[in-house]
Amino acid sequence: MFFWKKENKKNNNKKEEWFYESLPGTNLMITDYFTDGLLIFDKDNKIILLNPKAEEFFEVKEENVLGESILELGRFSRFYPLVSLLGGGIKEVFRRELQIDEGFILEVTSVGILKDGARVAILVILHDISRDKLTQKMKTDFVTVAAHQLRTPTSAIKWSLQVLLEEDLGKLNKEQKKVLEKTYETNEKVIHLVNDLLNVAEIEEGKYLSKMVLFNIEELVQEIIKDLKEQITEKKISLILEKPEEQLPQIMLDVEKMKIAIKNILDNAIKYTLSKGKVLVSLKRESEKNIIIQIQDTGVGIPFEEQDKIFTKFFRGSNIKKIDTEGTGLGLYIAKNIIEAHKGSIWFESEEGRGTTFYITLPIKERFGEYLTGEFY
Amino acid sequence: MAKKVLIIEDDKFLRKVLVRKISAEGYQIVEATDGEKGLKSVEEEKPDLVLLDLVLPEMNGFEVLAKIKKNPNHMISKIPVIVLSNLGEEKDIKKGLELGADDYLIKAYFTPGEILKKIENVLKK
Repeated sequence: MFFWKKENKKNNNKKEEWFYESLPGTNLMITDYFTDGLLIFDKDNKIILLNPKAEEFFEVKEENVLGESILELGRFSRFYPLVSLLGGGIKEVFRRELQIDEGFILEVTSVGILKDGARVAILVILHDISRDKLTQKMKTDFVTVAAHQLRTPTSAIKWSLQVLLEEDLGKLNKEQKKVLEKTYETNEKVIHLVNDLLNVAEIEEGKYLSKMVLFNIEELVQEIIKDLKEQITEKKISLILEKPEEQLPQIMLDVEKMKIAIKNILDNAIKYTLSKGKVLVSLKRESEKNIIIQIQDTGVGIPFEEQDKIFTKFFRGSNIKKIDTEGTGLGLYIAKNIIEAHKGSIWFESEEGRGTTFYITLPIKERFGEYLTGEFY
Repeated sequence: MAKKVLIIEDDKFLRKVLVRKISAEGYQIVEATDGEKGLKSVEEEKPDLVLLDLVLPEMNGFEVLAKIKKNPNHMISKIPVIVLSNLGEEKDIKKGLELGADDYLIKAYFTPGEILKKIENVLKK
């Protein structure tokens, strides 16, 4: 189908109007058969086409809305989310998820049509992804249920081993104790994995930040270092905390979640640095808008050819797999998602055999409202 | 006189481990295997502390907790309750504390020894 502008000769007022060409020899329009919804707006952001699929999505008839501006369409409740996403000037978006109704989610793309550098029209393409979202949700729900189900048996194992280890049931010989301790440690790893899976499931459900409060990030970093003290001493790692020159402002954080994120990174730095190595943690105000945290180690580094994969779910570096066979490959994926949910960013520099430096920036935001710009509008 | 602890837990094995650990410290133990029986024991036995699981048959732990804390009899509503569950989502923890739980412990994170310490802490208050 083509559409173009020409003078309407039937009307003598010479007003410019849009015309559509139908399939040759018929009066059928290709757009009538699209499985995606299609809207076309003219240069004044007035609607000039709404195909049958879009009629179905929005529960309106094309004939009742033709010629209306996008803002006027906002009066229909099902149109409202689209109007607030695109705005009166119809901005261009690419594959943005938009919830129209409970369980009804569209992926919206809007493309301007340019002629001699000026926008003469804009196409809005609407792809129904409700079913994909539902499948995704079922998969996530399955992981959540399975992980929860695993918690009871792992607790039972933990408790009974503890009772044995505390010698409540009688004295253990050295060898028995050693075996039980090893079993206990292994079970702790399963518990950790279950937690990671639950965190991933939460991320994928998109319900990530829950308790936002104003918090001092330096205090949080100190708390994390304290939690990892045992590992630091055990590996004889010299950990230096470089404090900011001036007191950092408090920022809005989901404290529990941010603790998981930073801990995952610092834990890696310690785990993958050889005994007697160095880890440097520094906190600084980078600009008016950002705080930057730097975590630098003298560890094994990330092989160059694997660097673009390290934030991927379940990915583990080939060199660290040899050192530690039990990591889950979820830590950095979780960290990145938490940091990005806070509108922060994370990146790194690394050289194999020399060490890695992770950088985390977090925006200085003091109000919760500043975070209310998630995936859905 | 020995303090009385009521354990409401449907998993036989977990209950047994807890009973062994807590009774070894000289506490008197009452056991209940579902929510309804648990609530009945609270009223009849008036324990000094309740250790409450959440996922329970008959009546879930949140309901049991709410019924204890909203009981018009002050002798019942003031009984401290420690939730001991594997529901670890923030919304569950928040709900438990809002309903009046004195502490909320996730089973997988605490050993029976640590749970015992929490019981002692709450009883000291």
